[in-house]
Amino acid sequence: MQALRIDPCTLSPECEALRAEVRAFLAEAMADVPPQKRVRSWAGASPAFSRKLGARGWIGMTWPTRYGGRERSALERYVVMEELLAAGAPVAAHWIAERQSALLLMRLSPEVLAPRIVPGIARGETYFCIGMSEPDSGSDLASVRTRAVRTDAGWVINGRKVWTSGAHRAHYMIALVRTGTAGEQRHAGLSQFLVDMKTPGLTVRPIVNQVGEHDFNEVTFDDVLVPHDCLVGTEGEGWSQVSAELAFERSGPERYLSSTELLLQMIDAADPADARQAVAIGRISANYAALRQMSLGVSGMLARGENPAQAAALVKDQGALVEQAMPDIAHDLFGGAAAPGSALAHALAYTTLAVPSFSLRGGTREILRGIIARGLGLR
Amino acid sequence: MSDAMIEETAARIFADHVDRALLERFEKGEWPARLWGLAVDNGLTMALAGEDAGGIGATWHDAYPILRGIGYWQVPLPLAETMIGALLLSAAGRAVPDGPIALVEEGEALALAGSGEAVRLSGTARRVPWARHCAHAVAVVGGQLVLANLADPATVRLTQRESPAREPDDEVAFDGARVLAAAANPFPDLAAPVRTLAAVAKSAMMAGALEWLLEQCVQYASDRVQFGRPIGKNQAIQQSIALMAGDAGAARMAALVACADAPDTAARACPAALFSAAAAKIRAGEAATRAASIAHQVHGAIGFTYEHQLNYATRRLWTWREASGSDAWWAERLGRAVIEARAAGFWPSMTRRQFAAMPSTMEH
Repeated sequence: MQALRIDPCTLSPECEALRAEVRAFLAEAMADVPPQKRVRSWAGASPAFSRKLGARGWIGMTWPTRYGGRERSALERYVVMEELLAAGAPVAAHWIAERQSALLLMRLSPEVLAPRIVPGIARGETYFCIGMSEPDSGSDLASVRTRAVRTDAGWVINGRKVWTSGAHRAHYMIALVRTGTAGEQRHAGLSQFLVDMKTPGLTVRPIVNQVGEHDFNEVTFDDVLVPHDCLVGTEGEGWSQVSAELAFERSGPERYLSSTELLLQMIDAADPADARQAVAIGRISANYAALRQMSLGVSGMLARGENPAQAAALVKDQGALVEQAMPDIAHDLFGGAAAPGSALAHALAYTTLAVPSFSLRGGTREILRGIIARGLGLR
Repeated sequence: MSDAMIEETAARIFADHVDRALLERFEKGEWPARLWGLAVDNGLTMALAGEDAGGIGATWHDAYPILRGIGYWQVPLPLAETMIGALLLSAAGRAVPDGPIALVEEGEALALAGSGEAVRLSGTARRVPWARHCAHAVAVVGGQLVLANLADPATVRLTQRESPAREPDDEVAFDGARVLAAAANPFPDLAAPVRTLAAVAKSAMMAGALEWLLEQCVQYASDRVQFGRPIGKNQAIQQSIALMAGDAGAARMAALVACADAPDTAARACPAALFSAAAAKIRAGEAATRAASIAHQVHGAIGFTYEHQLNYATRRLWTWREASGSDAWWAERLGRAVIEARAAGFWPSMTRRQFAAMPSTMEH
């Protein structure tokens, strides 16, 4: 159970000073961004915004300077992330690259791939997508069938990835593919590759989601040739590498803040004398307070070099519950009563359509609870 | 006494002395005098009180393991109440009396009359946990911290009631009860200090009870065999208990932060105390609702028996989620303050852990 324990973490005065800086930046950079865009939260992409953040040194803040980082603390990075998310900033372009891909490259290819690619990520110019899911491989990630075969010229990849967020604007994918047979261990024989999205044979086809937006894609590999040095880490070690990557994917404050714009619209529409509205908003606020401290605590674990995989699963599970309750609460309080065309009506409609994905992306609720159950000793 | 020593001391006393036999005797009406004596002799009742008043002067953070322990081991004592009473009195520069202290969190027509040596308290408090065992009660009336004499039947009428935890939850009618000490509220930036500090303590107690509940569920699910295997091997059971772990974790985090933000001396400003107390009590209440339901479902019929230990924790969780302001009571007051802050004030107030309107939303 120890792995599930998250201890509170106190932010230093330096962190609070940085927060003020970020707020001043956002007040200006977000001045013209309407609620209808903020509601997209971290699904909203703006390469121009990402480059501005990069120029401020707020992407890859914790990384070594040789990779374009600023060598600041995990908690300082946390402050920047939570401020961006609370403001509904359009961070999607660089988010995945910063959150997990760069870490993978710095850890597993510190001399070859990382120096070549990570500085561009830190500048907010280079974007990544994650090639994990496939048509027949969702939660059961070990069943991936996309295959890479070694040749003299490099690795040749064939297969198909699906639900790939941001593939249409990404410069690179980290793809999890099969390089050997599974054998006794289902998780054996998997490897990760860095794939340039412009490689011949690679096709990106949009999949429009139920919100009506293009975020997902299907990515087809048809004899895609990848240089030898783009094997990330060790051949056959893909599963354990991915497990570490997923801990980062799940650890951040984006796992509870995604429905914030709808909350803000509810607050502005609410009447303090209405007890029903006050109770509902008070409950959400209390949940935000607890989740924020838990999320911060997970960052504290990262800062201390601890493995937050199980704790992150727990926070993400709790966070998605609050994110997903938001449109139902808003419906209960304001459904049918919000003025048509108002920011509240828009946020309610948008968030209602968006939230089913929140307990699917980055690990389904059921997978996360399985991880928690393992942490409890039940599996 | 260091915080590690406090934790060790509390754990030792509670683990060694709170057992099934003691709880059953308590529920038949026996005051656990020996256990209370151990808590007093080891300084637990005076953990939060200042050293000038003979206390340990621990912070709420240091005292958390005591409060958590009350829930984890289901300690049947007015220990949190006495700790808070002693803190309030010592922070106000007043002597702390011997014996358990009851807290008057709210009441009808509570008022002081007279002056100097002859101040008297009148009014009715509907729910005063442990009152029948206490010779003294602490209240804040009209901005004044008062220590009232509970032991005089001529001026204090007590109606005995019980909570679902079968702990005393008495009604107290004060009719000119003697005020033994009075002082200005030592925590003036804390609206309703007795209620607020009691809510912090309840949150920590609930976090402890939730931890015990979670461990108990994991143990039972691992031991109980049906269809040829432990029921904990079923995904349906695993997923339920995993959800409970999230609730227990969130409640624990909120309680720890509420303790870190609560005032332990009159000198220390506590701008975040009220918000963090509200958040902790709300979150603990919601966790109790969900976790108690899951725990009983996991345990099946045996968990519904009086004989099984489970109900000693769930009955406390159901009692404590109501006490010191229910989750809805706090949510209404927090929510009003959040709405007053408007959207623009929401996030800055969240990160400060302070909503400007909250002291005033506590008043009605």
